[in-house]
Amino acid sequence: MTDPRIDARINRMVTAEEIRRALDRRIPSSERDEVEQLIRWFTTRYPTAGARLRYVRQAYDRWRKPGEAPPPTDEHVAPPR
Amino acid sequence: MEPSRFDEAAFFAALHASGARALLIGRRALVLLGLPVLTADYDFWLSMDDIAVFNAVAGQFDLRPSRSPEEARRLGRYVLENDEHVDVLVARSMAAVGGAAIEFEALWSRRQSVPVDAAAVAVPSIDDLILTKQVAARPKDLEDIALLRILRDRRA
Repeated sequence: MTDPRIDARINRMVTAEEIRRALDRRIPSSERDEVEQLIRWFTTRYPTAGARLRYVRQAYDRWRKPGEAPPPTDEHVAPPR
Repeated sequence: MEPSRFDEAAFFAALHASGARALLIGRRALVLLGLPVLTADYDFWLSMDDIAVFNAVAGQFDLRPSRSPEEARRLGRYVLENDEHVDVLVARSMAAVGGAAIEFEALWSRRQSVPVDAAAVAVPSIDDLILTKQVAARPKDLEDIALLRILRDRRA
């Protein structure tokens, strides 16, 4: 069970101003490059939507098992390094 | 209790065959489009006219609705679940944080169809997915907006 304080932070509703910033901010090239690398890895290794769905279900099941490490990045399924 | 045996591909195939106007939204839609994010559940935005059809499909997979169709229409959402969890929106429109109205019919008219094995899954356009992220509007939705913006630029 999640700590209620953590849950409140995770599930809080952001403000209209935060949304505007998310829509308008310039995405730094480092962030863009990292995400593009993830997309390239994911869509090359799992070139069909069906394969991607199956992989994410398996990854989530592994993550959910007691004693398993959480995903390597914040809710992203990162490529092996 | 035995865990349910949910066959995701069969579910999408049955949904496609049913003709129900259901848009896959949320993080599962991002996965279909090529973004590697984790998610526990399924999120659909469903035409208000297709609740019975959608529930019939879900029933083939032992997914049980939390509310009657009438209640779901009144409240604008319900859940289908067993070991799986499917959140279903059934509103004609939703309000984004900031007040903009997002209409189901408009999103449906601009949908993209993504092949999944032998079926096709209806997903909003990337711009419309960005709009749907402004409804629940949690911190993780802001992260998803960034991912979708990058995906959109990559495809442009």
